[in-house]
Amino acid sequence: MPMNATRGYHSGLVDLTSGQISREIFVNEDIYAQEQERVFARSWLFVGHESQIPNNGDFFVSRMGEESVILCRDRSGAVRVFLNSCRHRGMKVCRYDDGNAAVFTCPYHGWSYGTDGALVGVPFFREAYHSELDKTKWGLVPVAQLACYKGTVWANWDASAPPFLEHLGEFRRFLDLILDGWDGREGQAELIGGVQKWIIPCNWKFPAENFSGDTYHNISHRSVDLVGAGPSGRSRRDYNELNVARKLHVALPDRGHQTITYALPKDHQPQAAYQNSPEVAEYFRHCEEERRRRPGSNNRLMGAPGEIFPNVALLPRQPRTLAVWHPKSAHETEVWRFFFVDRDAPQQVKNFLRDYYIRYSGPAGMTEQDDMENWNYAHAASRGVIARRYPYTYEMGMGHAVENYEWDGLQIPGRVIDLTKAQASEEPMRNLYRRWAQFMEADSWDELMPWRHETAAQAAQ
Amino acid sequence: MSDPINVRALAVGTRVMLGSGAEVEIIVNPEDGVWLFARYLSSADDPAMVGTEDMIFAQDVVEIRP
Repeated sequence: MPMNATRGYHSGLVDLTSGQISREIFVNEDIYAQEQERVFARSWLFVGHESQIPNNGDFFVSRMGEESVILCRDRSGAVRVFLNSCRHRGMKVCRYDDGNAAVFTCPYHGWSYGTDGALVGVPFFREAYHSELDKTKWGLVPVAQLACYKGTVWANWDASAPPFLEHLGEFRRFLDLILDGWDGREGQAELIGGVQKWIIPCNWKFPAENFSGDTYHNISHRSVDLVGAGPSGRSRRDYNELNVARKLHVALPDRGHQTITYALPKDHQPQAAYQNSPEVAEYFRHCEEERRRRPGSNNRLMGAPGEIFPNVALLPRQPRTLAVWHPKSAHETEVWRFFFVDRDAPQQVKNFLRDYYIRYSGPAGMTEQDDMENWNYAHAASRGVIARRYPYTYEMGMGHAVENYEWDGLQIPGRVIDLTKAQASEEPMRNLYRRWAQFMEADSWDELMPWRHETAAQAAQ
Repeated sequence: MSDPINVRALAVGTRVMLGSGAEVEIIVNPEDGVWLFARYLSSADDPAMVGTEDMIFAQDVVEIRP
């Protein structure tokens, strides 16, 4: 397919008027190559959590799009993110997953970099370079922007992108559901265990779409529900709140973030959960009561799957996890899943949750296996020349989203579809692909920040 | 040509001689097999180096001092 036909928000590849999206955006290798530049080289991307690098010199090798990056805490304690590629001939300067280092030394010719990225060692600097190489110009390539938010670390290669919290917008309250403590205290999350990493044979947008809020595919997980993999020995999660909550799809059109969330009534009391362990159940009952005592509307939101544009999935409650869908090729995605607990939770609670998390998610998790089977086969069945002629439909719920949604005094931002009766909609997926298409078409961040233009216009009036 | 020295195994405090004839004492070994951090004890070529700290490239280390 020629490139000029692939920049297609208006050309038919992403047609939100009809609710149809071409399979080309999932399987076309030219579109994939273009995505690396237009989406991943200028988006805010999740690179890790500060609890992975508690000490000076600690590092975690992460990814941004296809590229390897080093997240590290330098000798002075500052968090840094660099491209993991020697400036001399490009070799990876760090080939470990994580650890502690005084320097990052390239094994090819021996150039060496400090934990602040500065070039500190050049073999035969005096003899071969005659001390003429300007070392200050040849440090590791740092990201253009870095943001630490409640322990999470985000980075962006584009200096013209808005600050991270501006990019997040009103979606911040949904991310807070995973980063704040179960009892409502701010920023209590810490990573438990290692990061689970594995490769799946599908385009990265299949899982991104799924975690945007696909409630329609629940039938896929019927077997897990029947097994009773949940923390109370039934279904796959504790959802007694569903009887009294409003189930919502929330989408922020100008940001590309979307989620499922549950709005709880004003005077809602904690429901029984984690019944497989009386001690864990009591711990969470106590936390839920504390959370309800704290001010702020977030104590009336119950988290559920969501997606931060472009490739970070959040699941705030059961299990409490972030996933990153790293693009590897048009036809391969490397999944990294991070699991969280409250840092000061009793060890017994952490152990119980670890067992539940890996029973649910990750390459061996029962629910994630269901999902992967769907994504992998859907991708494979969409690659053929005949299959590619036929678009997918995203028509479900078109025209039924509302703005300024309010229920029982709780206001919800963005465009909202109440799923309490409808059960499902494809508003979140349309939101994801609307933003994706905007990124693919826009030549600069200035075109991607309509909210700034609106603010400027209001100021002018 | 002398046998190569495994710089990863050199402990802090070890004194080594460099190809230039200078003698240095290891102060940090990052154990990457490529670099050592060391303090100059002597340097006939450049006496001003004595007392300074520098990164020493593995290939420059020619002898372990007793």
